Parts: sequence; structure tokens; C-alpha cells
Amino acid sequence: MGAVPAGQPVYIDALGPTGTEPFRSRERRPLTTLAGEPVGEISQVPALYVRRAISAMRAAPTTPAAQRFAALEKAADLFEGAAVAGLHPDDYAHLVSRASGVPLGVVRASIAWVADVLRTQRRTVELAMPRGVVADWRDPATTAGAAVWTRRGEVFAVHAAGNTPAVHGLWPEALALGYKVALRPSTREPFTAFRLVSALRDAGIPPATLTLLPTDHTVADVIIAEADQAIVYGGQDVVAKYEANPRVLTQGPGRSKILVTADVDWREKIDIIAGSVSHLGGTACTCATAVLVEGDPEPLARALADRLSLIPSLPPEHPDATLTVQPTDVSAGIDRYLHTVAGDARALLGGATIVDELPSGGSVLRPAVHLVASSTAPQLGVELPFPCVWVGPWHEWDGIAPLRDSLVLTAMTTREKLIEALLNEPSITNLYLGDNPTTWLRPGIPHDGYLGEFLMRTKAMIRSVPAVGSP
Amino acid sequence: MFPAILDLTSTQLAAAEPDEYIRALMRWHFGEETGSPFWLRRARALDFDPISDVRTYADLSLFPNVVDEFREVAVEDLIPRGLRGEDRAVAGVFESGGTTGPPKRFVMFERWAEFALGWDEFHYSGLGTANLLAVAPSGPHMFGDFAQRRARRQGGLKFTVDLDPRWIKQLIGRGAMDEVERYTEHLVDQAAHIMTTQSVGILVTTPPLLERIARREELVERIRKDVRFICWSGAHMDADSRDIFRREIFPGIPLKGLYGSTTVLGMSRERPWQDADGLDGTNGPDGTVVRDGAVVPDGTVVRDGAAELDSPAVFDPPSPYITFQVVDPETRAEVAVGERGQVVMNHLTKYALIPNNLERDLARRVAPLPGALGSAVSDVAPVSTFGSRTVIEGVY
Repeated sequence: MGAVPAGQPVYIDALGPTGTEPFRSRERRPLTTLAGEPVGEISQVPALYVRRAISAMRAAPTTPAAQRFAALEKAADLFEGAAVAGLHPDDYAHLVSRASGVPLGVVRASIAWVADVLRTQRRTVELAMPRGVVADWRDPATTAGAAVWTRRGEVFAVHAAGNTPAVHGLWPEALALGYKVALRPSTREPFTAFRLVSALRDAGIPPATLTLLPTDHTVADVIIAEADQAIVYGGQDVVAKYEANPRVLTQGPGRSKILVTADVDWREKIDIIAGSVSHLGGTACTCATAVLVEGDPEPLARALADRLSLIPSLPPEHPDATLTVQPTDVSAGIDRYLHTVAGDARALLGGATIVDELPSGGSVLRPAVHLVASSTAPQLGVELPFPCVWVGPWHEWDGIAPLRDSLVLTAMTTREKLIEALLNEPSITNLYLGDNPTTWLRPGIPHDGYLGEFLMRTKAMIRSVPAVGSP
Repeated sequence: MFPAILDLTSTQLAAAEPDEYIRALMRWHFGEETGSPFWLRRARALDFDPISDVRTYADLSLFPNVVDEFREVAVEDLIPRGLRGEDRAVAGVFESGGTTGPPKRFVMFERWAEFALGWDEFHYSGLGTANLLAVAPSGPHMFGDFAQRRARRQGGLKFTVDLDPRWIKQLIGRGAMDEVERYTEHLVDQAAHIMTTQSVGILVTTPPLLERIARREELVERIRKDVRFICWSGAHMDADSRDIFRREIFPGIPLKGLYGSTTVLGMSRERPWQDADGLDGTNGPDGTVVRDGAVVPDGTVVRDGAAELDSPAVFDPPSPYITFQVVDPETRAEVAVGERGQVVMNHLTKYALIPNNLERDLARRVAPLPGALGSAVSDVAPVSTFGSRTVIEGVY
């Protein structure tokens, strides 16, 4: 992607470890807008390129921590506000919206989120590090004996998704920790990955420690095999493929949920619930998939359907758009799937169709609200990439079983015993209480544990010689 | 009875009169005295008469693809009765890879094997005496026999590493990638020992193994120092990997592919690069066009100029004995030059008749060499099937 005047084709080529010209492979795939208009091409590098790139990355020195943090902070400004690889930030945001169907407002919010993540890495890494552990072996504490925080590996692979640019908010932590990162961009929306890698390099991250390796699914496996650790985004299929691999952290269906117990009046919370369902057009793993209500769930479900039905269908580049747009055949496929899985659930919204075709091309995926009869209904675990929520009953005697396997659980309850039980449940990753939507995120607060928990370990050190140099 | 046009010494005659060649070939394979028991028997089930109905190269499309029958047929029945004396000397029974079911068997004759090997002889001109290392399937596979013959022609010694590709396919089939890894590293270890203790001038291997060899820096250095020619076959090499091998890993070392199939008892060779005027060669230091391999005044050997590096590998089969077509996978109609399609191969000699063999490869159709039948091919890749995408739960 050299300088890109408007209307010029965009080339997403590999950014290899040498940092010279991007590598444009002969094998390329077209990049298109939702309407099918060509945008440019994305290179598809072969396994040979991947292996040589990662082997060169291993040979490269690790960037000193101070340089890493300075580069991350500088890259935040470049990513958010500068022309990167010839692309103005505004043109970039429009490109993402046109190609992925993500509303422009969501794109901009996601960009700001990623920039915040980059800016706060120094703090995030401090928060993630166990107390009493030192980050640098030269710390005086090691003369008396201390634990040093050390990397478990050297090269971290990222299989990015293309949902929204916010997907790129996790892996910069690996860079902050001193890992070398090999990033495979989404083929649908590779623009953010390309821009972020370019911005980080412009800001001082050496090319041999951060590469962009666009490639097909087969070679994508080679990236994981060659790296020490990896993070992979995908559906249930991807989770199943890698869940037995301790080197791979999967980001699959979040199946985030909301619980409302009888001691809380849900009428005051309906905006928070609706926001949890529709945030980022329902495309995040933190979006609520299920709402469980103590007592009759129907009034809440109806109120939620009313609220969600008000969201207008707009082209993604419209400033007020909040719903995602997909090519009509994709939307229709999701709609068919929804009808299949809905089964005996009662549709309160979106029962006829969720597909709303736009004159400008593509179709909006409109919200769906279904009512299920029991807290064990299998539909409660069905997560789809649009605002799709299943509302069902919960009784105290159901216990926490229906609330398991949640990336985020927002518990609207005042019952301390229940809160304790939910906090102790290992398959609930994050527990939010009260008036906090499932989609609440802050830089420095972990999303699926700190990446540092996965990438780092402590190592004992005792030394008698004074350190040369300083941290 | 024994028409001279079918002799391998009559290539020019056969090339000049392709239809006459085809007619003589039909009379040979479907004549009671000369045809093989297989074809004489099989002809009774055809809905046309090969001798009277197949008059031209194009008429060969009348034949069904019979290669699946080669999985069961007794190989003696494949020997044309008309082969006598030196013509009947058998080089071996070779088998296809067995990717798509039980292997198919074919009889390779000495004379044909020597001719087929000679097809890419010019690539080796000027190479002189050289030892050869083959890290390639041997046993029932044609590849190993070709390597043996190549070593003999170069007057050198041949080193080999055993390789069982069917076992590797079984391992891959049951997802035992760790075992695949161990087995292939075991192969490279053996190759490494030969390369580091012996003199190897020619390396013959498959693209996946060449890639594995190239992962070891000490072997790359050894190859750069000693090896003067790398021949690959038996699998696909994508254009990007070929670029990386030629530009970055083994610059200046000729890297030539043989694309073929045991099913057609032979290979196609990489076409020498031609400049815009159709001249073979590359650009010499003074800007004149010199032949690849020529020695220029300063004593260096000219190989692979920049323009040649940019050119894709084009494969020419030894027409009229082996020919290719590139067809639409759905309609089976021939695609236009420059378009991609599925590769159909024919073996058309007095030693065997294997018409309309549909390979599991996709390739771009390239205009053949002047006077050659069928097509040349480039950008060969395996046929991949894309299932219709179903909805998978989750947001990513």
C-alpha cells in the first residue's frame, strides 16, 4: 500500500522482516466493497515466505522495553490521526466501513479504542505483572533473590478477525511484553492490520519484530506452527480445532449473558440491556447473547424488542448507522440459520426476516429477540454476528449452570452469595455487576485475562554481581 | 506392419505429420498383431472404431478416460504385442501415487524411458560430470528411476534417500502431523549427512522437501557452494515459492521442474526463457542477448537474468508422444490460451496408449511450441474443492 490517492487500488502486501518494500506475491485475492466493487488486492504469501520471515524474526534482537513503550505511544497518534502508508485516517475509516459493512461510527470508535490500548500499554503491563515480581533482572531486588517476569516464548502469532478494528486491541500487549508478533490479517478487512503494523513500524518498532503475513487458511496454520504462541479468532469450529493446543489462545463465541434477579427492577435497566445486545452492531464477543430473568421473562423481552426495533436501517457510512451491513447472500444465509436454530423459541422481533436490503447495496442485519421456555434451552448459547438475543426464565434452583460458559456475565442482582458463586465459576471469564453493560471495556482491564498471563512466567533469580547498565 | 513413423527416432516425421502419426498409432494399438491384450479387449466396449474413426489428434477425444482400469488389470496385458527385441526391453513396472485410491500400474520400456529422460537434456548441457543426490520417491515410483538415469548420463555417482510418499499421505490423512514432521526431518537428516560429507553437483527432490532442506542454513550454504543444478518434480511449486528459491535462497543455481505423471509415463520440461524476439537466452552484461549457460568474455557463466526471473515456469510435454490439454472442469471443453483449467494428459506412443487422462491439477493454458500438439501449461496447482460456506456460530 503505497500512497493511495482516492480511487486508486489498495494493495495489502506482506510486510516482511527486512522492512524493505512490501512483498507482493503473484498469488493475490481481490478486495471488494460490500457491493462487490473492487478495492484492490491482497497478497497471499506461500509457506516458504512465512517460515523464512519467522526464522528471521527469531534471529532479530529484542527491542528494549523503553523503546517499545515509546513506539507504542507514538504509534497511537499515527494510527489515529496521521497518513499511514499514504492513507489518510478518514479515507482509511471509510475504506473499512465500505469493505466490511461496519458502521462508520463503530469504525471510528474502534479506532479510538485501539489507539487507547496502544497508549496505555505501560500501565497495562504493570497491572498484569504479579506483585513482588520485577520486570527487569537488573532490578536491585534480584541481588536478594526475586522473581523476574520473563517471556515463555519469542514469536507470537495473531490470526486476526475482520469484525471491527477493535479486534486489534488485544495483541499489542504482546508487543509491549517484548514478543515479536507475526500478524495474519483478515482477508475481508485487512486494512486495519496493515495500518497498525505500518504505524508501529513508523513509530520505531523494528520490522524484524513485527510482520504482516497475509495468506490463505492452509498457510495460516504454518504461521501458528512456526510461532511459539498464538491467538486465533474464529467460530466454534476454530475453537474446537485449537482448544487442545496449549500454545493457542482462542477467541471464539463469547456467549455473553445478562442475569436479572427479582430483587432488581429491570425496567430501569432496559437501555443497558439493549446496549449490550446491539453494541458494535452485535459483532463483538462481549455482546449479550442471552438474557435470563427471574420471574416472567416476557415483559422484559417485549420491552427489549421494542427498544431494538427502533434502530434504523442505514448504509454503513451514514453517521447514525449502528447496524452492520453484509452482502445480501451472506445476510440471507444467517437468516436461514437463525430460523433453523430458533426451533420452538417464540420470535418477538425478527421472526419474519432479519434481512433488510439497502438500495445502496448489501443488507442490514436487523435485531432479533426470541423468548425461550427454559433456562436450559440450547438456543441460549447460540451466538450470531448481529444483535440476536435469547430471553429466558431463571429460578434460584437453576443455580449458576445456565450462566456458565460466558465471556462476560452482567449480573443485575444484589445477592452476595450468588455473586460469590458466579465469581468462583471458572467458565465465566468476566463478571460485571449492576448497571454495567456486557460490552464495558477499559484499557488495562483484562478482556480474557491479561495476555501476560498466557505469555509470561516468573523465573527466580539471585545474583551477587552488581548489574551493568540499568533497567 | 511396423511403421517407421512410430519409432522414437522418427520424431521429426511424426511431428510433421501428426494426423498420420495418430492413424499409425491407432492401427498399432488396435491391430490384432500389434495391440495389447488390454486395448484389444477394451476396444470391443467402445462405441466407435478407433482405426476408422480416430483420424486426427482432435479425434482422440472420442476415447473415454480408462486409467481407473489400470488399478486392476494384469500388467502383462498392457504390453503391445507388436513390441519386439530391444523395443520390448522393460525398464520396470511403475505405479501412480495412490492419492485417489489404489495405485494404477504401468509398464515402462527402456527405449521410451531413455527418450523421455532426454527431453530435458539441454538443461544439463555444460554441466559436466556431477554426482547426484535424489531425495525422492523410488520403489514403484517413476521419479527414482529418472534420477538413476540422470546420474548415469552425468557420469557421476548417485546418492539416494528412501522415501515412502504413501505412508506420508496416510499420516496426513489421519492428521498425525507430528509423525509427518518426524518422518520428513528424518529424510532431511539423511540428505544432510550426504551433502556435508560427499560432493553433490545435482540435487533432485520434491518442492516440499526442497523447502525443508532450505530451512537449514548450513544446507543452504552447502548447496550454494556445491550444487550446480536443482531438479524438482513430484509435487507442485507455486510461483511465489519458485521466486523465493530463485531470487533469495539459491540465486544463480538453475532450478528446473519436471511436470508429469506416472500415469502418462513421462514428464514435461521447463521451457527455456525467451526474450521478446523469441530468442532463447538472457541479457548479457553488455546488453546483448546471450544463451543461458553461455560463457561471456569475463569468464562467468550467464544464468537467469532479471527478465527470466520474472517469467513463470512453462512446461512443454514431448509432443507428439505426450500431450496436454487444459479443459474447463465442468464442461470439459478446452479453455482459451491464458485461461486456467484442469489438465488432461495423453500418452501416445507405440509403447502405450493412455488417452484423456484427467489429472487432479489446475494450470494455465499456454500456446505450445511451434508444431507441437495440444498445449503447454504454467502455474500448475492442485485442484482444490471449495465446499459451500455454511454459517458457523460465533461472531468471528
